[in-house]
Amino acid sequence: MAAPTVEPVVPPVRPGDSPWAVETHGLTKRFKDNVAVDGVDLRVPRGCAFGYLGPNGAGKTTLIRVLLGLTHADAGSMSLLGYPVPAHRDRALARIGAIVDEPRFHGHLTGRQNLQILAAAREPAARARIAPALDRVGIAHRGDDKVSKYSMGMRQRLGVAACLLGDPQLLILDEPMNGLDPAGMLDMREMILSLRGEGRTVVLSSHLLDEVERTCDAVAIVDRGKVIRQGPIADLLADSAFELQVDCSPSDRAQALLAGTRWQTGIHVEPGGLRIDLAPGTGRETVAEVNRLLVEGGVSVYRLQEVHASLESWFLEVTTRLGEHQ
Amino acid sequence: MTTPDVTEVADVDPVSPAPGSTAPDHRGSWVPNGAMIATRFMELRTRRGLMITLVLVTVGLPTVFMAVRLLLHALAPHTYGPAGGYTIYSALVSGVLYVFGFIVAATLGATAGSADLGEGMFRHLVVTGRSRLALYVARIPAGLAIIVPLVAAGFAVVCAVCVFAAPSTLSYQGVTVPVGLSSAGLQNWAADHADEVICNFGVRVGPSTPDASTLTAVIQSVPCGNGPGGGPAGARLGPQVQPQASPVTPAQIGEAAKLIARTDYAGYARQFLAPSTSLMVRSGLWLELEAVIGFVVGLGLGSLIGQRTVAVVLMIVLEVVLTPILSRARIPHLANLQRAVVGLATAHLTPGGLPVLGGGGGGPGGGGGNAGLLPESTTVAVSVIVAWLVGWTVLGAWRMMTRDA
Repeated sequence: MAAPTVEPVVPPVRPGDSPWAVETHGLTKRFKDNVAVDGVDLRVPRGCAFGYLGPNGAGKTTLIRVLLGLTHADAGSMSLLGYPVPAHRDRALARIGAIVDEPRFHGHLTGRQNLQILAAAREPAARARIAPALDRVGIAHRGDDKVSKYSMGMRQRLGVAACLLGDPQLLILDEPMNGLDPAGMLDMREMILSLRGEGRTVVLSSHLLDEVERTCDAVAIVDRGKVIRQGPIADLLADSAFELQVDCSPSDRAQALLAGTRWQTGIHVEPGGLRIDLAPGTGRETVAEVNRLLVEGGVSVYRLQEVHASLESWFLEVTTRLGEHQ
Repeated sequence: MTTPDVTEVADVDPVSPAPGSTAPDHRGSWVPNGAMIATRFMELRTRRGLMITLVLVTVGLPTVFMAVRLLLHALAPHTYGPAGGYTIYSALVSGVLYVFGFIVAATLGATAGSADLGEGMFRHLVVTGRSRLALYVARIPAGLAIIVPLVAAGFAVVCAVCVFAAPSTLSYQGVTVPVGLSSAGLQNWAADHADEVICNFGVRVGPSTPDASTLTAVIQSVPCGNGPGGGPAGARLGPQVQPQASPVTPAQIGEAAKLIARTDYAGYARQFLAPSTSLMVRSGLWLELEAVIGFVVGLGLGSLIGQRTVAVVLMIVLEVVLTPILSRARIPHLANLQRAVVGLATAHLTPGGLPVLGGGGGGPGGGGGNAGLLPESTTVAVSVIVAWLVGWTVLGAWRMMTRDA
């Protein structure tokens, strides 16, 4: 199926400033007979928050590991920030921050000392970013505690702080919400949005669809190693059906008035009104048409509300896991 | 089901030039920077359990041993001899510091080689874009900056005690002799202790010996309690030498003792109560070489197999079991393979005056004491050591560069 693409935000300026933060063609990674990444063509525009969605075992983390050079690809090509990798991986990674899987550090060292090790491997200016990074992720007050005493959520935050040491243009965050409490998830969400607001690209791998929907501009859906959809969330959901909830009286009369219309695919009488299934592609003018028909038919209308398909329902619709759920 | 507003990608404000440093920083180079070495040093140094073990074994063990000997000698000097001296020095250096120095260095190396991987830090480091080879190489100076001073500190303790608490007298050929006499001093002392010298020091008299007939008469005249004819039991009198006919005078006895002392001075001078400065320098370098080998091999092995415990066990087996066996056994057709064992090579480089691996040879006056070892030239020994250092570094670095993170 042809995947809708999103337009790049930043025009190319010089080598390395490609409009695409991440671009892959036919990327493949096998583990013996298991194809973890199967011919993935992915394009992530610069300056957006991009969700990489998939059920457990879909190959999300493996793709990230391949992108970052943590493991090698068996086939395909890729570039990060315009730099072809692996040929120019060092240049690309110099501008990338990433956490992959569960963030783990030297437990006998403090958070600050762990960051010092990582900063030493980066450019000299990275050392000066340690304190601001700890402050930004909200663990400055625990920066001198040993990591072995950190909770999972604090280690996640430290992982994000490690990402920020390189003043990255691209952040790749693998399941960053894992282990975070609701307040922590809110902080993380706001942080991702602020990072995007600073012009950085954020690639967010997650199975938490609600978080992705709240955070990201565009998504790619991966299942069994393949990207099966990608594009702006709004575009992807536009193809989905949605519902119209109508609080009205009397309900049976309202049902009779709407029964013959072409844009509805189902009318359900509920206490206090109706629930109308609208066909995909139906526009907002339909809502006004419903209201007009009902009022002109002598039905009292108290409220009309569009209920669109969520990313979650759409995700279940397009992935093979839907069949398993059913 | 509710739907929050979503932001279309096209709606995202065009960004200002994206942040991110663009200054070249040579992170593709295999050469680590100073900060990488310093932070790696910090990472190793702050491993409390490991450092306590290293300090205990390299410094604590000889310190406690020496302290106990000093205490015992102070409390009961007639029962317990001096704490220091050459004998103690040689036993501690070649029996304790050598073996344990290697093992603790290997432990440190295996830790440095496997900790990042085991504790999940390796992935973070790779993502920085820094050359994996540079990440590996940074561990070498960082680890050596720990183990070399520790071995030196333990060795310094041993040297200090062995020099400053050395015995004040020397038992040479069964005779208690003052220490550190010059040739003239020894001759004068011999003249005063003529009977002891003539009876106990090694004497060889032949036709070419100056004043041989007088000397023969003197030797035969001194009653050493070994027969009616007198004379020292160990004396070697040539058959052609006839003793003088006239009676022996005390002056002649004194002169004979001085002559014996003069001819024996070279042997006396090799008897060190305390290790000489030269021996200590050579021993120290030899111990550091062994520690460097242990660290580098442990680092490579730890990186290769990605696990510390197994690497340490293998290194202990190599040092304590395999090396002693392979250094002395004569296995047909496998001699060259045995010569490739690094422990045999370092044993061949044992400083003269120290006993060698497995307890053979050496001795105070010894000149290397390689008796019993599988023969190996110094060139081959040095080549084997260099090959081990380079080989394990290449292996460890290769695994680090190719390993999935």
